Amino acid sequence: MQKQYAFLVDSERCIGCFTCAMACRNYYHQEEGIIWRQVYPLAEEIYPHRERAFFSLACNHCANPACLNVCPVNAYTKREKDGVVVHHQDKCIGCGNCIRSCPYGAPKYNPVAKRAEKCSMCHERLDADLKPACVQACPTDALQLIDLAELHQTNEVQYPAGFPKMESVNPSTRFILPQMPKMVRR
Amino acid sequence: MTMKQTYNRRQFLKGLAAVGATALLPCRFLVPMNAEAAAFNEAEFTIFRNACPRNCYDTCSIKTYVKDGVIQFIEGAPESTYTDGGLCVKGYSYTRRPYSPDRIKYPMMQDGRRSGKWRRVSWDEALDRIAKKILELKEKDGNLLGMGMTKYSGNFGITNYGVEGMMSSLGYTTRFVGTPCWPAGIDAQNYDMGNMWCNDPEDMAKAKYIIVWGANPAWCSVHSMKYIMEAKRRGAKIVVIDPVFTQTAAKGDVYWQPKTSTDGALALGMAKHILDSGLVNQDFVNNYSYGFEDFANYLNANVTVEWAAEQTGIPAKDIKEVAEEFATADPATIWIGYGMQRHTNGGASVRSIDALVAMTGNIGKEGGGARYGQLQTWGFNYHALIQKQPEGSKGFVGNAAKGEFDFTNGTEAQYSDRTVNINKTAQVILDTKDPAIKMLWVSCKNPFAQDFDRPKLEKAFDTLEMVVTVDQFFNETVANSDIVLPVTTLFEEWTVNVSYWHYWLSINEQAIKPMHEAKSNIEIAAALSQKMNALSPGSCTFPQDIDTKEWMAKEFNKDIYSYFGIADWTELRNGPVKAKLKTSAAWPDHKFDTPSGKYEFKSELCEKNGHNALPAFKERRKHYAAFRLLTPHTKFGIHSQFINLDWMQEYDKEPFVYMHPNAAAKKGIADQDMVRVFNKVGEQRVRVKLTDNVSEDCLLMYEAWFGKGNTFNVQNLVDDESADMGAFKAGAPGVAIHDQFADIERI
Amino acid sequence: MQSLELPLVLFTVFSQAAIGLTLMRAIRVSAGGPSGDAQREWRVIAGLMVVGMIGSLFHLGHPLGAPRAVTHLGSAWLSREVLFAGLFTGVAVIAALALIKENTTALVWIAAILGLGVITSAGMTYAPPALPAINNALPTMFFLTSAVILGAGFGSWFAGKERQPLMTRIFTTALVVGLVLNLIAPCVWISGGTVMHMTGKAWFASGFYWTHLAVLIACLAVLWKNKTIPTWLPVLALLGELAGRAGFFADTIHTATNIGGLY
Repeated sequence: MQKQYAFLVDSERCIGCFTCAMACRNYYHQEEGIIWRQVYPLAEEIYPHRERAFFSLACNHCANPACLNVCPVNAYTKREKDGVVVHHQDKCIGCGNCIRSCPYGAPKYNPVAKRAEKCSMCHERLDADLKPACVQACPTDALQLIDLAELHQTNEVQYPAGFPKMESVNPSTRFILPQMPKMVRR
Repeated sequence: MTMKQTYNRRQFLKGLAAVGATALLPCRFLVPMNAEAAAFNEAEFTIFRNACPRNCYDTCSIKTYVKDGVIQFIEGAPESTYTDGGLCVKGYSYTRRPYSPDRIKYPMMQDGRRSGKWRRVSWDEALDRIAKKILELKEKDGNLLGMGMTKYSGNFGITNYGVEGMMSSLGYTTRFVGTPCWPAGIDAQNYDMGNMWCNDPEDMAKAKYIIVWGANPAWCSVHSMKYIMEAKRRGAKIVVIDPVFTQTAAKGDVYWQPKTSTDGALALGMAKHILDSGLVNQDFVNNYSYGFEDFANYLNANVTVEWAAEQTGIPAKDIKEVAEEFATADPATIWIGYGMQRHTNGGASVRSIDALVAMTGNIGKEGGGARYGQLQTWGFNYHALIQKQPEGSKGFVGNAAKGEFDFTNGTEAQYSDRTVNINKTAQVILDTKDPAIKMLWVSCKNPFAQDFDRPKLEKAFDTLEMVVTVDQFFNETVANSDIVLPVTTLFEEWTVNVSYWHYWLSINEQAIKPMHEAKSNIEIAAALSQKMNALSPGSCTFPQDIDTKEWMAKEFNKDIYSYFGIADWTELRNGPVKAKLKTSAAWPDHKFDTPSGKYEFKSELCEKNGHNALPAFKERRKHYAAFRLLTPHTKFGIHSQFINLDWMQEYDKEPFVYMHPNAAAKKGIADQDMVRVFNKVGEQRVRVKLTDNVSEDCLLMYEAWFGKGNTFNVQNLVDDESADMGAFKAGAPGVAIHDQFADIERI
Repeated sequence: MQSLELPLVLFTVFSQAAIGLTLMRAIRVSAGGPSGDAQREWRVIAGLMVVGMIGSLFHLGHPLGAPRAVTHLGSAWLSREVLFAGLFTGVAVIAALALIKENTTALVWIAAILGLGVITSAGMTYAPPALPAINNALPTMFFLTSAVILGAGFGSWFAGKERQPLMTRIFTTALVVGLVLNLIAPCVWISGGTVMHMTGKAWFASGFYWTHLAVLIACLAVLWKNKTIPTWLPVLALLGELAGRAGFFADTIHTATNIGGLY
C-alpha cells in the first residue's frame, strides 16, 4: 500500500478538551463560523454519559475523496507521496459541490473568500517534518498522525458508531473506542 | 510557493481531456495546476517566549511566532516535558486576545455606573481624576484606609505584584486578603505537615494507585492527564471520587459518586478499615508522625466502615476494597482537588485524606504523596511588591493578615494596611467604618464574576465614591466602575511565571508592542506615581519611570538561579527550565515543618486556631434549598476569562444548567427548556441539559462570563458562607462555594 | 434546515421547464401535424435557459470562474451538467434566433437528448452519499417529473388546439407521478436510517413540502373540473415546483449533521 497519512482518534484517551480544535484556529485563523476540526460528543446511545466521550474530526483525507471527485474545477488534488487531500483555494470558484458531497462535512464555505476550504493536514508542516498543529497540541496523545501503510491493526476501527459508514470514499481516519469506568453511584 | 505536481497517469489523461474541452477558455491558463503552500519555515518568524499567567495548575510555557510585529500563532514550549509542545483550548485562544475587537483600548470614564455611557479620556485625564480622589481621601480621613484594593489571580506574572506595591507606595490602604480558591486545604496541609508541598506531578506516572479526589484535571490541568494515563498503562488503578461524573472520572477505572461534602467521612471510613486490617505503615507512624495513637483511638471510638457508607452513599464493600488496595499498592497517591475543600468542612476533609496517605506510608515517596499544591518555586525577590509608604503615612494599628503568596517578612512598623476578607467583598464594603471604604482599585480580578452574592455586591459597589478597574474587556466589574484602564496581555509585557503544581520556570517576553493604549500594571503604577508627585510632591514612592524588562530581571536572585540550575535569567530565552530536584517527592526525608517536626495526626496548632486537633469528622452544611448547586470551572475558561472571546464561542456558545433526568421529570422540565434557578441569594435564567453525570439532588452550572449580550452569572446563586479553614495561612477563611443550594422551575 | 440555495432553485426549475418544453415539442413534432409557433416557443426555451444559467452564477462565489466548471468531466457530474446545459442552451439559442432556417426535427431531438443529459447529470450531481435520502434515482425522477409537468403545462400555450388533450394527458400523468413520488419518498425515509428519518421528518415539517403538495393537488383538481389546462395553471404549477425545489435543497439532511449520533 502507498503511504497514506491519517488521523488516529483514540477516544479512550480523548478528554474532549477542544485543544485540537483551538490549535487549528490558532494556526489558521479561520473566519468566524468556519471550523476545520470539530470535537463531536458521542450520543448517549453510543456512550451512556452525556458529553463524556468524543470524536475529534477534521478532513479524513479519504482514499477516494468525494470532494475531489465532484469538484468541477479540479481544485482538489491528492498528494501521491502521502495521500493528503489538498484543496487549492485559488482554483476554487465557490460552487459548494464539495460541501454538499462530503459525507463528513469537512469542506466549509468561507463567506469572505467566497470559496471552500478544509483541513489541509498541515501539509506545509508535514513537508517540514512537523506534526499537524492539532496533533502536536493534543495533551493526551489522543490525536495522532499515522501512516495506514504501516499500521498493524489491533483495536483500531474505521467505522465506529457515531461516524458515517461511507465505504465508497474510504475515509483514512481510524478510531479507538472509549472505555467506561466501574461506576459506584448512590 | 511550491509548484510540486503530483500527477499520475489517470489524472494526466483527465487533465488532457479537460484542456481539450476548454482550450478556448482563456482563464483556464491563468490558474496554476497546483497552489499548495510552501513547507513551513521557522526562519520566517521571530520567536518569543511567553508563559500563561492564569490561575491554573499547568502554567504553560508558550512559544510565540511573530511576523511583521503581529502574532501569527503560538504553541507549547517543546522544552518543557510538562507542557510538551501543546497548550489547552484556552491557551491557544491567546492568539486572538490582544487583537480582540472587544478589547478595552483606551482609558475610559463612565457617566453613571452601569449606564454604558463610556467616553474615551487620555491617560493624563484619567490619572488626574484618580490622583485627586486619593489626595482628597487622605486629606479628609488623615490616612488612606478609605482606599481599598482587590486583586487576585487574573494575572500571576510576578511583576504584577506591583499592584500591591503601588498601594504601599501611596500609603496604608485597605486590602482584600485571602483567596476563594484553596485556603482551607492549605491550612489543613500546614497543620499536618507544616507546609503545602506536593510531589512533582510528572512522577504520577510512577504511581501504582491513584485516587483523584475532587479534582478534574481533564478540564483544569489537561497536561497532568498524560501522567495519569501513563500510570494506568503501566498497570496502576485510577479511582476518581467526585460528586459529578467528570471527564476525569470517565477516564478512570473506578468512579465513586459520594454525597457532596462527605469526603471526610469517606476518608475516615477507609482509614478505619486500613487500621482494622493491620495495613498501617508502622515505620512511618512510629518514626515520623505525632499523635497517631490518638487518631487511631478516635477512629476506633467514632468510625466504622458502615457508618462511612451510610454518610457517603458508597457501599461498605467498595470502601473496604479500595482502602485495602490503596494501602497495599506501593507507591499510592491521592490528588486532592480544590473543589472538595470549598465546603464548611473542607479543611477537616483534607486533613482526613492527608491522614490516609500518611498512615499508609506514602508521604515522602516518589509516585506517592498527598498532592495539593506547592510554593517551592516562588522564591522571587518580589521587587515590584515591596514598596515603602510615603514619609508620615498613617494606617491601621495592629497586624495585617497576609495572603498565601506574600513572601515578605513582617515589619515592626507602627502602622499597617487594614486587611479585610476577600471572600466577603460585598459585606466588607458595607460594614467597614472609620474610615469607610470610599474608593476601590480592582486589578487582575473580576469581582462581579467571582465574588459571592452578586446582588449584594452591586449594592455595596453603589456605596463607593470611585471605582477604578484595570482590565482588558468590558466585563460586569467594569460596568460597575467609573474609570477603566486598559492593561496589557501577556504578549505585551515582560514578566516571569511559575506554577503552584509543576516545577518549571518560564520567562514571559514582550512579543509585540502594546496594542492601542494598554499599559502593564507596573507601568500604570509608575504613571500614577508621576501624577501623584506632580500634584503633591512626595505623595507616592513608586518609581516614576520604569522598564518592565528591568523590573522582571529584578525578580531573580541567587536562590532562584541555583534552584533552577541557571546562571542568569537570559538563559530562559532558550526555553523554560525545571527545578533541579534531588527527588520528585515532597518531604523525602520525612522532616516536616510542624512544631513537632513530624507529620501531625494530632495538631495542637490546629486546635489553638479553633479546630479539632485530630482530622475528625465534621458535619456538612445544612441544605437551604431543594437541590445542591455546584458551580465549578468550565473547560472553556478560567473563572471569567476566555469564554467571552469570539474564538472560544465557536465551540462554547451558551451556558447551561445540568440536571438529572429523573429530577427533571418530577419538575416537568425537558431537555433544552429554559429554566429559572433560584435561591435566597438571587436567580439565574438559563437553558437546561439533562444528564446523569449529576446526581438527582444536584444542579450544576459552570462559572462563566460570556461577554456582551449575555448576563449569565453563577454568583447570583452563591452566598458568602465561609469554609472552616484558611485564615491561618491565607489571611482569611476560604469560602463554601460548593455548599450552595437552589431550586429550579421551568419558565 | 440547510441553506435555501435560491440560485440553484431557479436554475434547476427554469432549466427543467425549458427541457420539458423541448421534450413536449419533440413529441408533438414526432406525432406530426402542426406543432405550434416554433419560433416563439424556442425563444421561451432559450430565455428560460439563459435566465436559469445567469441565475446559477449567483450561486458561485466567483461567477467569472464559471467557464472553468467544465474542466473535470472525467469524474465530476457537475462538470457534465454544466457542459450539457451549455450545449442545450446553445442549441436553443440557435433555434430561437432561427440561425438554421429549416426548423428540422433533428434539431429538436438533439435538444431533447441534451436536455435529458442535463437532467440526468443534475440528478447525479444532487445525489451524493452525504445526502442518504436522495443518494439514489430520486433526484433524477424529481427533476424529470418537474420537466414534464412544466413542459406539458407551458407546452399547452404553444400546442395547437388538437394537441391540447395530449398536453393535458401528459400534464395530468406527470402531476400524479409527482404527487405519488412526493408522498411516498418521505414515508420511506421515515423508516430508513437516522439521517433519512431526519430528512423525512424535516420534509413533513416543511412549509415548502406542503405548498408543493397542495399545488400538485390543486392542479389536478382544476384539471378534474376543467378537463383542459387553463392558461394560468402552468404558472401555479411553476410556483409549486419552485417551492418543492426549495424544500429539496433546504430540508434534505446531510450526514455530517449527525456525527456522534447513531446512523
